[in-house]
Amino acid sequence: MRTATIFALASLVAGCGDFDGDVDAPAPETGDADEAAVEAYYASKPDFFSFKTAGDLPVDLVWQNGGHLPDIGSPDAVKGGSQYGSIQDFPRTLRTAGPDSNGSFRAWLLDDTSVSIAHRHPNEFEFHPGLAKEWAVSQATKTVYVRLDPAARWSDDVPITADDFLYMFYFYQSPHIIAPWYNNWYGTEFTNITKFDDHTLSITVPNAKPDMDARVLSLRPMPRHFFGTLGEDFVERYQWQVAPTTGAYTVRQKDIDKGRSIALTRNKNWWAQSKKFWRYRFNADRIVLSVIRDTPKRFEAFKRGDIDMFGLNLAEYWYEKLPDDDPDVQAGRIHKTTFYNQSPRDTWGLWINTSRPLLDNRDIRVGINHATNWQLVIEKFFRNDYSRMRTSSDGYGAFSHPTLTARRYDVQAALQAFAKAGFGQRGDDGILVDANGQRLSFTLTTSYEGLKDVLTILREEAAKAGIEYRVEVLDATAGFKKAREKKHDIYFSAFNVGLEMYPRFWETYHSVNAYDQAFLPDGSVNPERKPKTQTNNLEMLALTEMDAMIDAYRASDSAEEMRGLAHKMTALHHDHASFVPGYVQDFYRVGYWRWVRFPKEFNYKHSEGAGQLFVHWLDTAAKEATREDDGTWPASIQVFDQFRPAVTE
Amino acid sequence: MFSLNPQTRRMLRRFRAIRRGYVSFLILSALLIVSLIGELLVGSRAIIVSYQGQWHFPTYTAFHPGTDFGLDYSFETNYRELRDVFRAANEGDWVLMPPVPYNPFESHASGDVYKPEPPSLASRHYLGTDTTSRDILARLFYGTRIALFFSLAFMASVYLIGIAVGCAMGYFGGVFDLLFQRFIEIWSNVPFLYMVIIVFSVIPSTFSVPVRIFVLLAVMVLFSWTSMTYYMRTETYKEKAKDYTAAARVIGASTGRIIFRHILPNAISTLVTFMPFTVVAAIAAITALDFLGFGLPPPTPSLGELLRQGTATLRTAPWIVGAAFGTLVLLLTLVAFIGEAIRESFDPKKFTVYQ
Repeated sequence: MRTATIFALASLVAGCGDFDGDVDAPAPETGDADEAAVEAYYASKPDFFSFKTAGDLPVDLVWQNGGHLPDIGSPDAVKGGSQYGSIQDFPRTLRTAGPDSNGSFRAWLLDDTSVSIAHRHPNEFEFHPGLAKEWAVSQATKTVYVRLDPAARWSDDVPITADDFLYMFYFYQSPHIIAPWYNNWYGTEFTNITKFDDHTLSITVPNAKPDMDARVLSLRPMPRHFFGTLGEDFVERYQWQVAPTTGAYTVRQKDIDKGRSIALTRNKNWWAQSKKFWRYRFNADRIVLSVIRDTPKRFEAFKRGDIDMFGLNLAEYWYEKLPDDDPDVQAGRIHKTTFYNQSPRDTWGLWINTSRPLLDNRDIRVGINHATNWQLVIEKFFRNDYSRMRTSSDGYGAFSHPTLTARRYDVQAALQAFAKAGFGQRGDDGILVDANGQRLSFTLTTSYEGLKDVLTILREEAAKAGIEYRVEVLDATAGFKKAREKKHDIYFSAFNVGLEMYPRFWETYHSVNAYDQAFLPDGSVNPERKPKTQTNNLEMLALTEMDAMIDAYRASDSAEEMRGLAHKMTALHHDHASFVPGYVQDFYRVGYWRWVRFPKEFNYKHSEGAGQLFVHWLDTAAKEATREDDGTWPASIQVFDQFRPAVTE
Repeated sequence: MFSLNPQTRRMLRRFRAIRRGYVSFLILSALLIVSLIGELLVGSRAIIVSYQGQWHFPTYTAFHPGTDFGLDYSFETNYRELRDVFRAANEGDWVLMPPVPYNPFESHASGDVYKPEPPSLASRHYLGTDTTSRDILARLFYGTRIALFFSLAFMASVYLIGIAVGCAMGYFGGVFDLLFQRFIEIWSNVPFLYMVIIVFSVIPSTFSVPVRIFVLLAVMVLFSWTSMTYYMRTETYKEKAKDYTAAARVIGASTGRIIFRHILPNAISTLVTFMPFTVVAAIAAITALDFLGFGLPPPTPSLGELLRQGTATLRTAPWIVGAAFGTLVLLLTLVAFIGEAIRESFDPKKFTVYQ
């Protein structure tokens, strides 16, 4: 308890900003008691944590190391320079687990910067080594064997060993981190970890899914020597501490200026800096991120050269604020690039809460689908840059439904559907009413302030089909909370989906995520079921048929069978009409000052942003030249469409 | 109703003599009256449609589906298109549109995409369009109307509560006064803007837009009535101690009669002086709330929302911020002039001789 108080005081002092000294936190004690508690935890779960010797390794394993894959990044890349960027909000914590840790800043600490056992090659989708030297997959035993690279080191120069992986399970299964999703994931999606020697381990999963290797290879160890035994004080104690990382960048305590800026510094002795796949990446020496809350202000900072890169995905910025004939663009000082990528698409659309009155009627939902004019939004607001989403699981290759498309805006079809549900008469204001005089009116909630105009357009168009959308714009936290508590009528949002082989259905469509006990044992609807909150089933979709398919899908180990099920589930979901597919963005575009250099092909097929893979580098000489005088260079407005799929429509 | 005493009448005469304030007052009153019939000036519904010899006045009636005028859709008629259709058909049918033929919600782009367009006489977007091609004049007009009536309603409510509580405190005094003073001291220390933001953010959105505006009004009144009470309390104390009040009480006048017939008319000059500034404060508050995104629910037209759009597009569409800023300046200047004139004409120094 006393330690906690001291830490709280220390962070308070640091927070005041007048404490310039290096406040590198003292390393937590790693006494015998600590070790004993962790060991005791391992001992208490002998089935999960196993210890064997190198001789116990199966002999028939086929080891692979992704050596045939091409390198990532450009050999022309030079190390050095400071990259300047911005963040919208100062991170609420520097922990990577526990409350508030799942913010956008975690990408800088963990998701985009740290090294896991192996990584998907951003062009080839196959795995290339990270912490592992090589690995072997045994489908029969549902186990992945890993040989760690002996050179791998934490950023504080402690070797990374199999113990850190054992500890990772201890860490994520611990109640003290207050992260139920992690507790559940690391407790149920893995069944065993075996240590053979310091650099050899195996991890077993419950189902031999087609991508079971991904589940294991994407694991990131936790530094046992840093955290030791976890206690009640975990959340406060590590709130502003930066744990050692496996990646090239780390945050020094003195670079944390709370509420204002935070900087990442490149580890000059990074263990992977000369390894294939890693040597041409993470080039900037420092990355300074300042807090700029307002997007227009951020753009002005970029225009002044205070920020190196700026995402220009919004049409307004691409066409109006930084048009091709902008003086800076024409003079070649700022480059504009569009890059078509391939990855599962964020699910922008209207999520209809089917547990609400009227919205539980399929005819109404079909009507809503026809009354929502996404075509107009895409055409006029997004200026045809985006395309219409077809189903809720686009972008998964063969796992996406081959033929289904979203229902089109069609006033007649919408009116017919509403009439079937009893709404056949227009009231004085043109909104449909039923026999009891009830108006066809729903609240359309969003937490994206910047997209409220989209909803206004939808509202005006929907009125033509006799339905009223009451637009409600909440701030990000409040909006998502409302939807997760299932209190919304219709929610406009998207789930960010990572690069995966096949779509997930359980989270969003399984009845266990809609209700506590949705159905009685005989399969009929439980009359006393209560909505289940804090899940991603925002449509409150509960269909026994869907449940059965999802369960089969989750248990299946055949890609063929899973594809069939995915198509069937997508079709059922489409038929249920509880989701109005919005739009997909199959590219990203970015403006950057000419001192930021990218590889010849600009970026990689499965990248989701220009800076995500850190393949860019900084040309400090060019920066000086550009900053010093108003010189002119050849303008650069490029489109990279090598990964754009052939147009299908 | 109490009648104005001669002193107050003299003040009003003086107010009329201060030209700048009086003219501002007339302009603002005219604006208010005009905005009441605003649908005839700014709106997408036609004023008159002459179809097959019959006249229709769609402005204030139930909506006319397109089928009413021989069009093939069942939703609200697009009267601008109807006018073109009639003109092309040349069968004697005609449509009279308002001078600004757009409503504040519809997107109307001259090109293929929604983007801000500069003011243009040809397209009848006299102040240009905003980021989603909505007519700025229409949004300004209705935004101002809402802001004006909102602030008048705000003023009325604040004064009603402030006068009632202040009078009661001053007239009854004693423990009642003491307790209420403490309560007001605490209440007035609650930060107004934050409270409005917090309270309004938890109001469920199932309410319709007018109801939400009313709730916003109620919340704002709830946290702003306190300042008025002090003036009223002091004024009441002062008047209560004067001989005429004592005389009224001796004659046997009831409490209500004394307060409403004797004290209030004499205290009114203080109140009137504050009125314009309350209006200014209310307009500023609602604009600030909208600017911060906590005010009127979208897509309600509002000055603050336009200002916010304007500051975000300062470089690319300066006419947005220009229009919003100009309107705000005009409005606040008018009110300030009125306030200045009222203060001067109600200045007690004009009527007392201390030398």
